[in-house]
Amino acid sequence: MLQIDTVTVVGANGTMGRNISAIFASFGAATVYMVSRSIEKSTAAIEVASKSVRAGSIARRMVPKDYGSLVECVSESDLVFEACAENWEVKSAVHRQIASALGGLADANPIAICSGTSGLSITDLAGVYPEQYRSHVFGMHFFNPPYQMSLCELIRSRYADEAMLCKLSAYASKKLLRTTVLVDDSPAFLGNRIGFQFINDALRLAEDHRDSGGIDYIDAIFGPFSGRAMAPIVTADFVGLDVHKAIVDNVRSNTFDFANQSFELPDYVEGLIENGQLGRKAGSGLYRTKVASDGRKTREVWDISHCSYRPINRYVFPFAIEMCDLLHEGDYREAFDLLETNRSVEAKICLEGLLKYVIYSYVISDVISNGISSADDVMATGFNWCPPSAVIDALGGGERFASLCRERLDASWLSAIDLNCIAESHVPSFHDYRRFVKARR
Amino acid sequence: MLGNAVYVLGGAQTDFERNWTKEGKSEVALLKEAVDDALLSAGITYGDISRLNEDGRVACFVGNFIGERYVDQGHLGALLTEVHPAFYGVPSARYEAACASGSVALDAAISKIRLDDYDLAIVVGWELMKTVSSKECGDILGRAAFYRKECPGVDFPFPTLFGQLAIETVNKYGLDRDAYFDDLAMISVINYENAKRNPLAQTRKWFMDYEEASHRGTETNPLVGETLGVADCSQVTDGAAVVFLASERMIQELRLKNLPRVKGFGHRTAPMIFANKMIESRQNNYILPWTRQAILDAYGRAGIGVEDVNVIETHDCFTSSEYVAISSFGITDPGNEFEAVRDGRIAFDGSMPINPSGGLIGCGHPVGASGVRMFLDISKQIAGTAGDYQVVRNGEIPENAAMLNIGGTATTNYVFIVGR
Repeated sequence: MLQIDTVTVVGANGTMGRNISAIFASFGAATVYMVSRSIEKSTAAIEVASKSVRAGSIARRMVPKDYGSLVECVSESDLVFEACAENWEVKSAVHRQIASALGGLADANPIAICSGTSGLSITDLAGVYPEQYRSHVFGMHFFNPPYQMSLCELIRSRYADEAMLCKLSAYASKKLLRTTVLVDDSPAFLGNRIGFQFINDALRLAEDHRDSGGIDYIDAIFGPFSGRAMAPIVTADFVGLDVHKAIVDNVRSNTFDFANQSFELPDYVEGLIENGQLGRKAGSGLYRTKVASDGRKTREVWDISHCSYRPINRYVFPFAIEMCDLLHEGDYREAFDLLETNRSVEAKICLEGLLKYVIYSYVISDVISNGISSADDVMATGFNWCPPSAVIDALGGGERFASLCRERLDASWLSAIDLNCIAESHVPSFHDYRRFVKARR
Repeated sequence: MLGNAVYVLGGAQTDFERNWTKEGKSEVALLKEAVDDALLSAGITYGDISRLNEDGRVACFVGNFIGERYVDQGHLGALLTEVHPAFYGVPSARYEAACASGSVALDAAISKIRLDDYDLAIVVGWELMKTVSSKECGDILGRAAFYRKECPGVDFPFPTLFGQLAIETVNKYGLDRDAYFDDLAMISVINYENAKRNPLAQTRKWFMDYEEASHRGTETNPLVGETLGVADCSQVTDGAAVVFLASERMIQELRLKNLPRVKGFGHRTAPMIFANKMIESRQNNYILPWTRQAILDAYGRAGIGVEDVNVIETHDCFTSSEYVAISSFGITDPGNEFEAVRDGRIAFDGSMPINPSGGLIGCGHPVGASGVRMFLDISKQIAGTAGDYQVVRNGEIPENAAMLNIGGTATTNYVFIVGR
């Protein structure tokens, strides 16, 4: 395990920067130099950071700094964490600054250089550094909010020093109490690759079904009863449509798997982005909250057919009502039997979405990580979604899952995977599906 | 202990991190999950229960404090028939002694097996507490004290009363107040630390350190009542725990060996009102003499002393109650409890680990479940099945484990010894 006593977090006043600083200062018990554009911003971030882990005591370990003291901070640190804006120009410039701050440091005591990027190439970022430092540059991808979401994806670049990566992984899991998953340097890494495939597919389904209601219709189909706390399109609105676009465009352009087309952003989302309707942070996006003059709030959704907002519908899907009634009493088997046998359009969309999610997770986690258990870890602890092999458990096991796939999915999906192998090799997930499947619509 | 031998076949607890109200799930859902998981652990099926019931060999014992307030439901023994039809016709009743409800259910179950009335006893402890706001929750729990006399006008009666226990402890033994409260902070930290190893503990992902726990009255560790900080308090928790107890005949039929065995129990009731407890114990070396007596009774029935105990689960509803338990168990003399806190004896790797599960502070405290959860945890320690929080010394798992479960302000005191 790496011995990390001092950490420099660059870009420490952003949401992720300050909350990750708190993780290093609390569980890691490290002194954290919080570097941002001004001491005032860094100082303000410390208070928010300590509240994020509900421990004012850690504030004493966080030191406000600005870029003027970067050289001094880096020279005293065992780990440098970059948490700047998700933009190549910004990040590469910051890494060049870190590289020059490293200038005089001897190799004998190598420090870990980590980027919190959610999708930029770690190999490219490592390439910014002189050769001697490249092997110590890693991706260290936390999820928001990190105190509640324990996932940490560790990404190896082409130059990665495997021994150091191993020690960094031990540090993240044992000291920082992260659920640590090693992932190859591949677009969007593992969690976002799987998660945003599902979310973008939901956006595309909304377009296909725009005359049935579109966005809120699809979100109602993938409600909490389907194994997630937040509906998929609400999630896109929450993270911001610009961020969503950056992720899916990156995967669409730079990967070549069987589901590549499902990363194509629907035109109506492009339109919203061009209009500045970027989601919750912009006040409007796929959803918005309208406040009347008397203060009354109405939740509205973008109507794809009419290109305007309308109040959200409270859809009444009999299958969802029945499932929630069964889940309320703890009858999971009966609830999923109902999903599997119900022939309504909505139940079919829901089940097919879950089956595709599992298949995509299997395929991708095999290629860029350590198989389905890593996909389970990222989806459970990074997204708070029922993880893929727990979905198989909920559906009734490997055999049942395979037969449902054969019954419901088309050839492009069936040919992507060996269903017999899944049916035979499936073992119950480490993550209990029951806690993820809520009795709520 | 007189009578037939009583063995622990297995059991389960729910994940105490879960909020069943947020999941939209009922008390029946909670019970189904807990009983299903316990059946798996004990290697028993609902079919087995039906068959045993045909010959009148099985009964259920339900511990719950106050479901009438939290979920608007009473008659909780009978409620098990909603879990599975296998419970139709099975004798079942609910037992209540505030936070010691789980233990009084265990006591009844153990007695029935000792007397050879049944071969299998299913003990279920549960509470859903997150159905109400934290303020209302605190008020409901006030009914474990003498509500009419001790609770009027007090928002959080129990933190206040256990804060008084802290002050009384300082005064009785002439302790340095600051040092005593630092010792309480250390107790909190040990419990939080232990919970990190328990995959079903409520606080397993939470951060706590000595600096945080020892600075009370801050924004993140505010005072609850007048004396104790949030870090000194156990959690508001949803959860259930289930234990299967079996007779000698039953384990022979199942061809099982080396199961944990119930070796002794103690049960004493102290004056209901906290102030009367303090008046009564004024001349006694022990601040809670009936707690001490319950432990001595259990040691006596088991034929052991504190030197034979390898691990303890105690009722740390507040750090001040764990502090008193240290001398009550005989780990130190009364007044010298701080020694065991400071020298690391009660830590996970110490010579007398207390609450390897995380206890009520770390693992959580669904009040009606806690007695059963503690009993399950000491049984796991004896069976060697506690996983990452298994206590091992010199390559060996514990031979004897003890638990103390209290109701009210240490009014009902229950102790069990499980061993091999």
